Amino acid sequence: MFGYIRPFNDELRLKDHQLYKSVYCGLCRSMRKNYGILSTLALNYDCTVLAMLYMSVKNERCSVRRGSCSINPLKKCLLCSCEGEALEFAGAVSVIMSYYKLRDTINDSGFPKRLSAFFGRAALYRNYKKAVRKYPYIDSLTSEMMKRQLEAEKENSGVDRSADPTAKLISELCRSFSDDEKNKRTLSVFGYHVGRWIYLMDAADDLEKDIRHKSFNPFKGRYDGDIKHTMIYCNEVLNMTAAQIVLAYELLELNSFKAILDNIIYSGLSYQQKKYTETRFIAKDKNKDYYGMLDEIE
Amino acid sequence: MNDPYRILGITPDATDDEVKKAYRKLAKKNHPDRYQNSPLAEDASEKMKEINSAYDTIMNMRRSGNNYSSGGTYSDSYSSSASHGRYSDIRILINNARFDEAEQRLSSIPPSERTAEWYYLMAVISYHKGWLEETYNYASAACRLAPDDVEYRSFFSRIRSQRNGDYTSFGGNSSSGCGCCEMFTCMLCSDCLCNACCRS
Repeated sequence: MFGYIRPFNDELRLKDHQLYKSVYCGLCRSMRKNYGILSTLALNYDCTVLAMLYMSVKNERCSVRRGSCSINPLKKCLLCSCEGEALEFAGAVSVIMSYYKLRDTINDSGFPKRLSAFFGRAALYRNYKKAVRKYPYIDSLTSEMMKRQLEAEKENSGVDRSADPTAKLISELCRSFSDDEKNKRTLSVFGYHVGRWIYLMDAADDLEKDIRHKSFNPFKGRYDGDIKHTMIYCNEVLNMTAAQIVLAYELLELNSFKAILDNIIYSGLSYQQKKYTETRFIAKDKNKDYYGMLDEIE
Repeated sequence: MNDPYRILGITPDATDDEVKKAYRKLAKKNHPDRYQNSPLAEDASEKMKEINSAYDTIMNMRRSGNNYSSGGTYSDSYSSSASHGRYSDIRILINNARFDEAEQRLSSIPPSERTAEWYYLMAVISYHKGWLEETYNYASAACRLAPDDVEYRSFFSRIRSQRNGDYTSFGGNSSSGCGCCEMFTCMLCSDCLCNACCRS
């Protein structure tokens, strides 16, 4: 369920793109340092954005330096490091969430997947314990979320109810970024809809697979499994959620990474949405520019 | 108090037109109408006040120096029409952010007695929870039952346009772009290019 929140690179300035990459690499480096080299397997784009948001809200000073990649020492890259806890926090979030995700896979997948998830979990176990010691509340929030998610799936709930656990989790995580009561409120609404959006994107992405395997999906009940119509519906639901993200985002008090975050919120979300819903299922006309890359020529 | 220029996102050497432009952009972005029924409505109106007073401060400062007139600030009064009988106490609960209680009270009303206002209030509560699908369904039911009510209609049309992907403060993101604007930017760009060539 990771990696949907990303910038739309084509509209990002080169320097912002490099800064974004440096945060990604910096997060990887910090995870290697804090939770061991195997924890970098859990690295993902969503947590990179989480780290940037954290730094931006808390106004943490950060610096970018040249270094070499944590995995491939021959590759040179830019590394972002910050004085505060942003990278450590985001690293802990991705380790803990990946661990739970793997545990979930072991419980309800076929044999080959189960086996690889089992080894993955064993590899992550020590790193997970370490992250939990530092941030016990992330662990308790995530396990609570997983429990509620299971209940919602058992009851075959609708869109709102099944997206609620993930939304609440991200909401609580974002809420912890600020000490100011007003900012907390804005951050928690922002986080709620970001979490909801991630969950719904994942559901839309898995829809085809879930119909084939007859597993749970909140969108499945609609239109008797007609994928094209369901995708139009998914897109509408996602649009509404993105609208709420934008409303809350515009009230946030941010200090840095503004250009990247703007890009993610205003272009990245809708681009990803189109990529996973429209262009995959709805677009059949090859002559139309579904990505909006070409300017319209009259 | 914060620096008024920082609030508007400009520097003190901005021209009056730039100040006005920055103010209009922000005012549009944070206009309370966009946040109708949202859990962040209060924060938005507070921010609007901040923007208004920053703009007034700058304009007053400048006017004492030279005689420029300022455009009037946007008003940020948004009041919901609350002249409804049966549901007035539930509206009070909602206004005081006691949503669980309000939802319980509403749920206890039997289905046969549910009016358009019942559906509208359920929509408002769902909106606060972030349950947007229920919001949409309730609001559309309210509009179906009372097609002429301004309050229900304005709320529903707002969430419907969000649903169609029209939600950024500058109106972007919908599929069809504005031909005129694009043509104009093209002209501007080519103008810049010309300048660059001639100068070098």
